[in-house]
Amino acid sequence: MIDTTDIRKNLKLLIDGDPWIVVDFQFVKPGKGQAFTRTKMKNLISGNTIERTYKSGEKLEEARIDESEMVFLYNQGKTYTFMDNTTYDQVELTEDHVGDAKNFLVENMNVEMLFFDDRPISVEVQNFVNLQIVETEPATKGDTVSGATKPATLSTGHTVNVPLFVNNEEWIVIDTRNGSYVERVKK
Amino acid sequence: MSGQTSPRTMFPGDLAATLRLRHSIMQEIRRFFDNRGYTEVETPIRVPCPCVDIYIDAFTAGASLFLSTSPEFHMKRLLGLNLERIYQIGRAFRAEEAGRHHSAEFTMLEWYHTGTDYRGIMQETEQLVRRLAEALGPRCEAPSFPFARISVSELYGKYAGWDPVRCWDEERYFRDWAEIIEPALAGLGAFFLQDFPAPLAALAKIRPDDPLVCERFELFIRGLEIGNAYSELLDYDEHVRRFEHAAAARTAMGKQPYPPDAGFLEALRQGLPACGGIAVGVDRLIMALLGLDDINQVLAFPAERL
Repeated sequence: MIDTTDIRKNLKLLIDGDPWIVVDFQFVKPGKGQAFTRTKMKNLISGNTIERTYKSGEKLEEARIDESEMVFLYNQGKTYTFMDNTTYDQVELTEDHVGDAKNFLVENMNVEMLFFDDRPISVEVQNFVNLQIVETEPATKGDTVSGATKPATLSTGHTVNVPLFVNNEEWIVIDTRNGSYVERVKK
Repeated sequence: MSGQTSPRTMFPGDLAATLRLRHSIMQEIRRFFDNRGYTEVETPIRVPCPCVDIYIDAFTAGASLFLSTSPEFHMKRLLGLNLERIYQIGRAFRAEEAGRHHSAEFTMLEWYHTGTDYRGIMQETEQLVRRLAEALGPRCEAPSFPFARISVSELYGKYAGWDPVRCWDEERYFRDWAEIIEPALAGLGAFFLQDFPAPLAALAKIRPDDPLVCERFELFIRGLEIGNAYSELLDYDEHVRRFEHAAAARTAMGKQPYPPDAGFLEALRQGLPACGGIAVGVDRLIMALLGLDDINQVLAFPAERL
């Protein structure tokens, strides 16, 4: 068991049988009064967030989360199939568990898969991935400074805003933490 | 790993500028009190009784001594020497306190003024902050003056829907503080929180015209608790009772009880002059003046850089 002094960002806690991750926290103590730690947590299975306040010294249970590197093979409907690089075991995840990562998955991409109680619960993609544009308006030549953008659809179905000079079928770098355009892939 | 800089020794880029501003604020604080006829005093860091507060954990400092959590007992004893106005800027230590607004080791400004009460201290506090804001000029994220005055009943009535003064519930008071009140404070600018429930009197007098509240206030600026002030309780018997109550409460919580402060009790028995006093967290005051939200931004060596 751990207690409130161990609370930090990304700490994974077991609450009512579910794994939660600490997204943010704040130590609150009036000069004359009881101390608490206020936390914001995300459920690692459902993605729901809650706020919880713990009294200082309260005991907490850490959730055991295992990680392993997998490669994304393909998806069919709402099922996403991955393979363990060392054992060649295949694992299937539903679209809900894949979450936002589905916007960035392309075949043969390496991902981190998280397991709770030997059950796969989610995947994490790298912070930056290269994806190809499959549909956008033709590029406006020369406009590299105005800051104006247009929507572009990627091979994964995800839509991002890109600068006007970016062309259809180009490869671009996406920041997966917020899903935004970073730059064109340098040739 | 020679030749590599460890993150532990790295300073943030704007620290030198912050430390220069910190120095000018400290100079201005001393000038403010020196110009008003205050005597700057120094009291021990290692003390036999760290406080009478059940929720403050002191560091032990050798056999039967603690690191000071506040200089109040020794400073009040000095008032018995007919030093009418005294101030001190020194270190205070509180174990288990760390966060964006807390450091286990911090700088405390404490002052006592005889012949006045918490209202006089409130005026003086606002004058001090105004003076510091003027001295900083455009670098100051100035809170607007004059400061508002809000009672604990108003604050809890508005945000938590109940009145701790009329129906005291300690557990509920502090949980609501952490969950509801504290997050709302940042939106309230600068204000004095006053009319604390009598059970939170600590070392403040009970108000003669309303025994449910005490003569205590706290100053908040943008959600930061800056200072805590009292019309100082000077009654010997009442102090003995509060020391005993605190020791029993700490024992019941499974914590080390603190002994009563014998020197302070003796001074009370001989009689101390009526006075008001306040403790101000200097690091937080600097944060408030400079518009910073993390105490580690105003400390040269926060715990992570020790």
